[in-house]
Amino acid sequence: MRTLVFIPAWNEEDSVAAVIAGVRDAMPEADVLVIDDGSTDETAAQAREAGALVASLPFNQGLGAALQTGYLHALREGYDCCAHLDADGQHPPAEVARLLAVIREDRADLVIGSRYRDPGEARSDDYKPPFSRRIGIGVFRFFLTLATRQRFTDTTSGMRAANRRVMRLFSERYSPDFAEIESLQLAVREGLRVEEVPVRMLERAGGSSFLTPLRSAFFIFKGVVVLLVGQFRPTQAEAER
Amino acid sequence: MSAAVLLAASESPKVHLTSQTRIIAAVLALAFMALVLELIRRDKLQERFSVVWFVAGLGMLVGAAFPGLLSVVADAMGVRDTNVALFSIMLLFLLGLALNFSVTMSRQAAQITRLAQERALAKAREQAASGKNGSEAERERLEG
Repeated sequence: MRTLVFIPAWNEEDSVAAVIAGVRDAMPEADVLVIDDGSTDETAAQAREAGALVASLPFNQGLGAALQTGYLHALREGYDCCAHLDADGQHPPAEVARLLAVIREDRADLVIGSRYRDPGEARSDDYKPPFSRRIGIGVFRFFLTLATRQRFTDTTSGMRAANRRVMRLFSERYSPDFAEIESLQLAVREGLRVEEVPVRMLERAGGSSFLTPLRSAFFIFKGVVVLLVGQFRPTQAEAER
Repeated sequence: MSAAVLLAASESPKVHLTSQTRIIAAVLALAFMALVLELIRRDKLQERFSVVWFVAGLGMLVGAAFPGLLSVVADAMGVRDTNVALFSIMLLFLLGLALNFSVTMSRQAAQITRLAQERALAKAREQAASGKNGSEAERERLEG
């Protein structure tokens, strides 16, 4: 099974090398691709230095477009399965390996690493969401569960693994604005097997979240609209007819 | 609709336009159409986007030539005030045009994204082929 692990990175020069090293350690069999989303710092050079293949988008296109680049590469280069994780060091590579195991055993088409499902024993360095974020998490969880009739706990998780069926879908249709949530809805609507696996995530090493309360509110509102519209989108089979 | 009807309508009391304003309106309409032509000629505007503006210019010209037409349209719309009819039509026209531009922009944004992705992946393939720092080279180093 040929495996690609890709890492979308936007101005993450401090952490990207360590993440790549972690991925190589945990999954020595996987090829590593860093998608540099128009970084203005040394992210691309750091990633190359750390031994990853680097695809540099000429200008910042947003997380959705970056992730789609990874799926497109995986599809074209004939990888059997792929996974992606954030470049900021929040996602332990060992957990990504567990997601990939589910794909390799063909127990699902798309696997999401969830921070909130059956957390088990808490550790001091575990991820703890701030209050404003918890509201958003709750709203998205509710609407996505309503839309897909499937229970999701971590709708915005950026730690995922997928097989070729998902690569084919996401390389064609992947919302650039609301990639994380809409992609789950899309996959379920296309009849793919989507599954959550409980994972540990760490507190971010540096930097801060981009969300202020007002932006959070707008983000949530936009997400709900996107989900609503998504319910009326034709599936690929319907679009071909 | 015969010209006689239009002329008769133009004399109806609903639309008050002096011949002076009609001439100014006609000149403006012609100037607008000339501007559109000039923009096409200088490659600042593609022909496929110019059709709608040409039609708008023609509409302005027709309105200047037969102001009575407006009251006919207003009657058909069931609007007493011809100004309201004019502004409603213009508003709907511009609204439709703006929506059309949003659709065009969305399509082009998707095309630009795909172009950026293709370029990024082409560069990555180049890097892989050159073997420098690529994952293949790294693996060889580890195995060798």
